Amino acid sequence: MRLSLFLALLLGLATVGPAKADPLPFERGSWAKLSAAHAGQPTVIHFWGLTCAPCLVEMPQWAALKKARPDMRLVLVAADPVPQDPERLDATLARFGLDKAESWSFTDRFYERLRYEIDPAWAGELPRTVMIDRDGKATVLPGVADLAQVRQWLDAQSKSH
Amino acid sequence: MRPLLALAALVLFGSTAAAQHQHGKPGSILEAFTATPAFGPDGALWVVRPNIDRVVVQRSADLGKTFDAPVTVTPDPMNLDWGPDARARIVVDPKGQLVVTFGTFQDKNFNGRAYFARSSDGGASFTKPRPITADTTSQRFEVAGVDPDGRVFAAWLDKRNVAKARAAGKAYDGAALAYAWEDGDADFGNTAIALDNTCECCRLGLAFAGAGRPAVVFRNIFPGSVRDHGVITFRDPATPGPVRRVSVDDWKIEACPHHGPSLAIAPDGSYHVAWFTDGSVRKGLFYARADSGDAPYSQPRPLSAANRQPSRPYLLANGPALHLVWKEFDGDKVAVRWQVSHDSGRQWSAPRTVAETADASDHPLLVADKQRAYLSWLTKNEGYRLIPLGDQP
Repeated sequence: MRLSLFLALLLGLATVGPAKADPLPFERGSWAKLSAAHAGQPTVIHFWGLTCAPCLVEMPQWAALKKARPDMRLVLVAADPVPQDPERLDATLARFGLDKAESWSFTDRFYERLRYEIDPAWAGELPRTVMIDRDGKATVLPGVADLAQVRQWLDAQSKSH
Repeated sequence: MRPLLALAALVLFGSTAAAQHQHGKPGSILEAFTATPAFGPDGALWVVRPNIDRVVVQRSADLGKTFDAPVTVTPDPMNLDWGPDARARIVVDPKGQLVVTFGTFQDKNFNGRAYFARSSDGGASFTKPRPITADTTSQRFEVAGVDPDGRVFAAWLDKRNVAKARAAGKAYDGAALAYAWEDGDADFGNTAIALDNTCECCRLGLAFAGAGRPAVVFRNIFPGSVRDHGVITFRDPATPGPVRRVSVDDWKIEACPHHGPSLAIAPDGSYHVAWFTDGSVRKGLFYARADSGDAPYSQPRPLSAANRQPSRPYLLANGPALHLVWKEFDGDKVAVRWQVSHDSGRQWSAPRTVAETADASDHPLLVADKQRAYLSWLTKNEGYRLIPLGDQP
């Protein structure tokens, strides 16, 4: 009972507290924590980069999808090989209206390890989208995502609930 | 309860992470991390390194064990190109003159400016850096080399024709492969475009097929936005030859992966290329050879496995020996793997690890003096290392 109250308070805090200005630092071990935090919840993790031109072209589509599907748990991870200025990352997401989405950014230049933790076979190409279902099964969409496929996946998740 | 816990964990973790997030100060993180070597005719090793907003050159008389005091190439701070495939470079001509090339960012849209500086006093001082070309649109991924006659050749990716096309309301994919030769001891001559519509964000590989005959390997844009590799060999200093495609990987991507190729030409005239691809035909790191600049390339040979993130290949022809290195990752450490061929790239020794690191690292590079070939590698933990390679692994 006490724990539930504590958790509820925490959640309440999270809702009314000010929006974080910075993306969370994605470091060694972050992937496990991110995955654990969303375990059991269908989650769409979109990897992008400030230094990735097609990512910036694609981003308004994600913003539109998030607006149309507020039920989508969207996590944005900036995976630039050279870590970018968090303020610029956040300003970029704000420009697309995605600054309220959970956001992370690579802060470790040892990107081989960060990528390996996410997917050993990922050589770093951006954009990249990973959809993880309730059972932890991941579907990878390399490159610019076909959002119809994402919508279909979201529909399938809510049906299987 | 479970979702609630998960969300609470996120909130808790998020706050902790945000509190820890103090080291990502703007301006302190966008820094090039490269060290690029060249040997002088006297056997001295020269290494050029960007140092936050400056470029410095250091000389070593004992194969990298100790270095003289750094000599600054850029007297004023510059906004250096920190891109993952960008690199300040150094070449030494037969007279012992040094040429340093490097790139800067002009703006936040990654438009670059390529510079060079020369030293005619054995590296004691450098001329004030000057742009390689007069056009101000954008140049990146500059590379310089000395041909067998001692002339310095430079090539880079240039966006002047993008600007022209845009002004005319036309589309223009990628960038152009531009080049210039040195004009006397002090300057580069006029810029010419060797090829339009190359991929725009990958390093170039440079070798010489003979005097006045540079050969450049680059990620090209083939029809359908397929970003596979091609080699252009100059027929003479002013005549770039046709594009020879190295392989059909069919990597269709509307982007550039910051992952460029490497080229070596052996004394028998054979061409050797190593490259990264994520194409529909093959994925990973590959090597292929051709009997000459006009001959077709062999079937690509995979280097390592795709789940080891093989990357950053580099080839060097040192006399009859061909050396090939690349990086791969085993989950803990990045290893530089090395292979040698003594029969023009037909057979290679089994890959051997010559160096490892457990943190961030620059691309592995190869360099040779009169005696032997070396691996040149800058890593965060170990610093700069020059590791001799045998003729046999």
